[in-house]
Amino acid sequence: MQTRSSETLLRRKFLLGTLGGTTLGLVALAPRRAAAADVTLLETGSSLLYPLFNLWVPKYTAMHPGLRITTQSTGSGTGIAQAVSGVAQIGASDAYMSSPQLKKSPGILNIPLAISAQTVNYNVPGLNDAGIKLSGPVLAAIYSGKITHWNDPAIAKINPGVSLPNHGITPIHRTDGSGDTFIFTQYLSFSTPEWANSVAYGTTISWPPVQGGIGAIGNPGMVQACGQTPYSIAYIGVSFHAQIAKAGLGTALLQNRDGNFVLPNPATVGAAASALEAKTPPDQRISLIFAPGASSYPIINYEYAIVNSRQASPVIAAAVRDFLTWAVDPSGGNAPEFLNVVEFLPLPDKIAALSKAQIAKIR
Amino acid sequence: MHTSAFRIGTICLAALIPGMLIAVVLFLALYSWPAINFNGLGFLFRDTWSLGNLYADPVSVHGAQVPIGAQYGILVFIVGTLATSFIALLIAVPVSLGVAIFLAEGAPPRLRPTLSLIVELLAVVPSVVYGLWGVAVLVPLIAHYIAPGLSAVLGFIPFFAGGSPTGFGLLSSSLVLTLMVVPIITATVYSALLQVPRPDKEAAYALGAMKFEVAVRAMLPMVRGSIIGAIILGLGRALGETMAVLMVSGGALNYLPATITSPISTMASFIVSQLDSAEQDPTGMAVRSLAEIALVLFIITVIVNVIARMITKGLHVGLATRA
Repeated sequence: MQTRSSETLLRRKFLLGTLGGTTLGLVALAPRRAAAADVTLLETGSSLLYPLFNLWVPKYTAMHPGLRITTQSTGSGTGIAQAVSGVAQIGASDAYMSSPQLKKSPGILNIPLAISAQTVNYNVPGLNDAGIKLSGPVLAAIYSGKITHWNDPAIAKINPGVSLPNHGITPIHRTDGSGDTFIFTQYLSFSTPEWANSVAYGTTISWPPVQGGIGAIGNPGMVQACGQTPYSIAYIGVSFHAQIAKAGLGTALLQNRDGNFVLPNPATVGAAASALEAKTPPDQRISLIFAPGASSYPIINYEYAIVNSRQASPVIAAAVRDFLTWAVDPSGGNAPEFLNVVEFLPLPDKIAALSKAQIAKIR
Repeated sequence: MHTSAFRIGTICLAALIPGMLIAVVLFLALYSWPAINFNGLGFLFRDTWSLGNLYADPVSVHGAQVPIGAQYGILVFIVGTLATSFIALLIAVPVSLGVAIFLAEGAPPRLRPTLSLIVELLAVVPSVVYGLWGVAVLVPLIAHYIAPGLSAVLGFIPFFAGGSPTGFGLLSSSLVLTLMVVPIITATVYSALLQVPRPDKEAAYALGAMKFEVAVRAMLPMVRGSIIGAIILGLGRALGETMAVLMVSGGALNYLPATITSPISTMASFIVSQLDSAEQDPTGMAVRSLAEIALVLFIITVIVNVIARMITKGLHVGLATRA
């Protein structure tokens, strides 16, 4: 009996000690935490924008003590959904929101942060340095199973002098929802009416059944699948340039609206961006795909921040405004030291001004 | 007084579990109700899945607002789920029984604890690790060696004659699942074999049975119930496995697998891969249809479990009457 009661006592003492310790710890922590993070913002969404935010946030928060920004790579659809629901203050998306979506949640802003591009890559042994030329209609035919071999007359016709192998093509698409699928299928839709009428475009589409065609997850998955599958073809975000080079993949020259075959580089991407600069509306929801111009690269897009114009409190709204204004500024987040790392291009001045005008609406 | 408070407390806690189960089923059923209405029974038998054009204005179909061209059919995913799980069990069951018998009877007693620990560790490896291994090692292996080999040896059966295998597909998914299921079945059967009474084994030896015969003829029948239970546990894991399968399945859409190396999709992995885009559907029908897939997956799992329980029960009754 006695041993038992003393044991209980001991346990109680121990418990009290732990409790006391915890309370002390909390007391000690509390004032420090209040000083360190007055505002916490959550950024979530696009996996293509995620590396850029991870470059921005440490630099920016170092200049702004009291601000904490959490970044997450969850996919563009989730970015939009969480910005709309209010879970995240900044949703990152490679695609702008659709009109029906906006009708359902008015007050959501689509703010371009930078310009990105996409490459079409292939793995044809012996020809990966040859620069195979491809067009929207040819890609649409490959991805709908109408062109099944590399030496198909339609491919041979636009690649004179290249000895194409008599081997089946493995088209690789993204299985997960992706802004890359969105811009790639927009290129197919805008260049090939047949594709536009049957499959159309979206972050996930109902891919036509192509026996042997495979799906991969994320840009890293695309690079890996294309690298280890000879005679395959894939579309990959330009931020993965280094991985593409490491995997030894070929980059296709794509046919633009004017009929010329171009590679993505600052000149061709910039040409496409300036071709559509004047057409960008105040709400900035516009596709840059298949832009006119002799040297325009056909698959480029604005990378968006999706933000609710009504934030939970004025303090949070001010923090979002300040951060995004810095992000689109050429001397801030749009500086080459950030964008070059992820192979993005800065916003043209006029577009940056439009972005700032939208940012000013956040309250 | 003290006891009754304790009693009430534990009853409340115990009620949490069935309560949660009912809550999940209710939520799934209620949430997917508009999709169930819209899709009808054809949901299970159509092989075309399309979210429709999310960038055009939605249209009204049978009184429901949906994107233009939206249609939801999950036959491809049901087939993918059942086929991968079936092939995985086909390989995993004999392998697991062999390993369990070896651990219980054949292995040197000094090594036994270490070996069984390794098996148990394999059972708790996160599935994404198996998926990563699958992509990096298994997929190229299948593409370059296993698939051409199968095609050369068994090519006269159309199911094994592969066109241009990439390694991503039915076979790689099944093999990854096999790896995940083997430790579960092995560990369960092994611990059941340890329970077999010594006199029974000695009786078998006394009849002149060899070690192999003792294990297969005397011991395995005695733990039949446990074996079936273990297989059901493994099947449960295989049916619901998401990440590892998603990484190696090749994500087939709109067509059924023609050969063992064809790309496939399973129900669980498809839900994950589609959710992000489905959230952009302004009508919400896409997400509700995904919830309907979850409901179907749940029902399939329940059916499989009930059948398994009936089999085990029947076995116990059979053994009892014989005794």
